Amino acid sequence: MKGSSDAELISAVLAGDIEAFSGLIRRYQDTCARFAVRMLGSRVDADDALQSAFMRAFRGLRTCRDPERFGGWLYQIVVNECRTYASRQRRRELRFTPATNAIERAVAPSTEVENESDVSWHIEHALGMLPADQREAFLLKYVEELTYDEMAGITGVSVSALKMRVKRACDGLRDLLEGVYHG
Amino acid sequence: MAENYDESAVDKNDAFVERVAARLRTPEHVHPSFEKRVMEKVLAEGTALYPKRRFSGSWWRTERVFRLTPLTGLALAAGITAVIAVSSVAVGARMSGRGQGAQGTSHAAASVRADTVQLVRFVFVDPKAERVELVGDFNEWARGTTQLKRSGAPGVWAVSVPLSPGRHEYAFIINGSRWVADPLAVKSSDDFGTESSVIRVGPAGNSAT
Repeated sequence: MKGSSDAELISAVLAGDIEAFSGLIRRYQDTCARFAVRMLGSRVDADDALQSAFMRAFRGLRTCRDPERFGGWLYQIVVNECRTYASRQRRRELRFTPATNAIERAVAPSTEVENESDVSWHIEHALGMLPADQREAFLLKYVEELTYDEMAGITGVSVSALKMRVKRACDGLRDLLEGVYHG
Repeated sequence: MAENYDESAVDKNDAFVERVAARLRTPEHVHPSFEKRVMEKVLAEGTALYPKRRFSGSWWRTERVFRLTPLTGLALAAGITAVIAVSSVAVGARMSGRGQGAQGTSHAAASVRADTVQLVRFVFVDPKAERVELVGDFNEWARGTTQLKRSGAPGVWAVSVPLSPGRHEYAFIINGSRWVADPLAVKSSDDFGTESSVIRVGPAGNSAT
């Protein structure tokens, strides 16, 4: 099964060879992990979201109309699942965080960047401060390097709205990371 | 707020954006136990979702044209009535034999015309069931294609399915996960010990298990 195509693995699962699904997990788990970790800012939440996404994909395998494009179909599920988890995170934050300006708190302290891992931390933190829709658009565009048409297919959002979200995300990051990159 | 935006306004060569994105492009890996954990769940649900296919018959998906003359139309109506009547008797017997909370199934078949279509009524009795599906070689063991509906007495589920003459295997899936063979029918096991039930639809409309 190692060299099997996505369509062959799906066909095997549908015919009752359930183990064949592990081939699809191995093939896509790390690809999806990057988006989920960046989107949710937490490896624990990303792990949960990915588990849910793979289970949804497994349960709905019959509805994958084009098995050769399983990757894109799965990615769509992962993006949706991350939206759900991001929304839960937001509710969690609202419950446990006093109503102060989260962006101010996140950005204010540090203008001194000591080392490379500090830079990464600041970037990931700033990313987490963006509204979820802007974060999602930025990640799909600049980190996953999708075209706007591909993004629209995955998110169900119009291309023009996605461009606006990406623009706002870039502006937001620029403001938030001013101290790190000095503009 | 308008969400129209001119792409040219986005500076694709923005060095700042590229520096940020480059950091975020570093690969991530799932925990080494990820595949195992997901597969445990997958295997727990898998048998009911995607049972081993033992038959390649695709009658259910084959397009057929039924031409009903007024006479066969009358026969069809009579056939459906007969099916319901037979099933009701079987269910009644079943329920009185086991009482509330008992679970069981029965089936009956009636023919209309041997060379056209034969309606078989599948009945399942389980007062605790919330959802009952029928899978079999006639629908390629595909879930979600043949749902039983609540029928009359509490806990009684039924559906009528057109079957071609011959031997058919089937089973019920309860609440989306529990695979149940018909206790009143002849059993058949696959290589993995999964039990299903057998119904034979006679060419003249007789059914036997």
